[in-house]
Amino acid sequence: MSESYAQRHGLRPLGAGIGLRRGFYETLPRTERALDWVEIIPENFLSLGGRSQRALDACVERWPVLPHGVGLNIGGPDPMDEDYVTRLAALVKRVDAPFFSDHLSYSRLGGVYLHDLLPLPFNEEAVEHVVPRVREVMARVGRPFLLENPSYYARMPGGTLAEATFLRHVVEQADCGLLLDVNNIYVNSQNHGYEPRAFVDALPLERVVQIHLAGHDRYPDVIIDTHGAPVCDDVWSLYRYVLERTGPVSTLIEWDQSIPSMEAVLDQADQARAVLQEVAR
Amino acid sequence: MKPGLRHFFDSMADFLADPSGLERLRASHPGWDSPPSRVALYGEFVRFHVRSALEKLYPLTQASVGGEQWAALMEGYTATRPARHYEMNRLGEAFPAFAADVAAARQLPEFIPALTRFEWADWAVYASEEQVPERAERLTVNPTLTVLQHPYQLCAWVRAKGAAPVPAPGEEMALLWRHPSQLNTWFAAANERMLLVLKMAVEGLSVADVAAATGLAEEQVRRAVRQCARDGLILAP
Repeated sequence: MSESYAQRHGLRPLGAGIGLRRGFYETLPRTERALDWVEIIPENFLSLGGRSQRALDACVERWPVLPHGVGLNIGGPDPMDEDYVTRLAALVKRVDAPFFSDHLSYSRLGGVYLHDLLPLPFNEEAVEHVVPRVREVMARVGRPFLLENPSYYARMPGGTLAEATFLRHVVEQADCGLLLDVNNIYVNSQNHGYEPRAFVDALPLERVVQIHLAGHDRYPDVIIDTHGAPVCDDVWSLYRYVLERTGPVSTLIEWDQSIPSMEAVLDQADQARAVLQEVAR
Repeated sequence: MKPGLRHFFDSMADFLADPSGLERLRASHPGWDSPPSRVALYGEFVRFHVRSALEKLYPLTQASVGGEQWAALMEGYTATRPARHYEMNRLGEAFPAFAADVAAARQLPEFIPALTRFEWADWAVYASEEQVPERAERLTVNPTLTVLQHPYQLCAWVRAKGAAPVPAPGEEMALLWRHPSQLNTWFAAANERMLLVLKMAVEGLSVADVAAATGLAEEQVRRAVRQCARDGLILAP
């Protein structure tokens, strides 16, 4: 079997982490609960001073910190935001992150930030557009980079590739890692009517370096990836299916809306850690 | 970029600027069979992010103008495409200027422009990138200090969370700064004691000089300095 992306870059599984959200700025750095690493949304730390910086510094002292962005706009038509990339590179170095990540989507059009992650059409044109941008970002930041499979509610026009094929082409041609959001796979499979395990089987799993687990909200005709609920049983089951094929992978419990107590989020991280330990045996 | 992808982005940009153009978007991509309700979600999401950020930044403004007026303000402001920065809260930076421009036409309460400036300053001070030194060699003004001048007693009104229908009239110089250890925004209507201590910090005046020039006892001056340092308005050695 060929060397995995993580092995090539000397990246080891870090265990189970949670996100540093504003409500946890005071409590997370002091927690005595088990926690293996912390994820940050860099946009909350690139240009904001005060409490966010104090919390970040405190976390860096205790855990590996992994930046996971939403504003890179890797798939968009606008040139890279110079200020953003410059500050992101500085932040990655400051927290000494072993890698950083963002989404295979676009988030800016005509200079306007959408503050959302919009899907690209699954075609070769989009692959050709994204690949050099990924390479540019990796070169400028100088650390391994992961792209996350996004959730999407409508297939965009002009698609000619299967979703998994599109993902594979981008990450293989750009030679980056894959951040596998298992909840996104589940949400997409439900919204678009496909078998999630078959989708997993079609992915370049040797490039998976990190996993996201999250909750979603179910509406009559669509499931929305809100990160606003506990991880559901089906997603836990799919997570186990992925780990049986990849081995242990750094796993984040992602919670961004209706955020419960930090203890409740850490409980879910404990659950993820238990699964990681089971598959490692 | 290939023309097909360029066309895709252009059509999405038009749609997201005006989500009522969903049918136009779909018509520009013949054969696109995704359900319109699913595509419409993206227009709703993008607008929701603007509204929710503004609601967090301007809670007293929202409460003061009422639901209908607030919705109209949001509609008008969203149309200006204010999200020009990757940090989401920055999309609210131009809202005070927007509110001031439309205040008369929309018959907003007269204090609203001043209140929006105050609420933005509250956030901007909290999130300021200014580095507050851990130790000061001499009296130093807190570098996050922001000064606002308006014809309303906004500090007291904001502190009471807008309990009265409108703030009392009266000129006020509002001082807002981030407390050096608590790292939250403090604010107060400037008084003579604060202004005197700020002057001492800016001009490097000694306690003895100030006492001599003002006729105050040196202990009174020292007490004023200690109080302002405790509040974090100035940094003292």
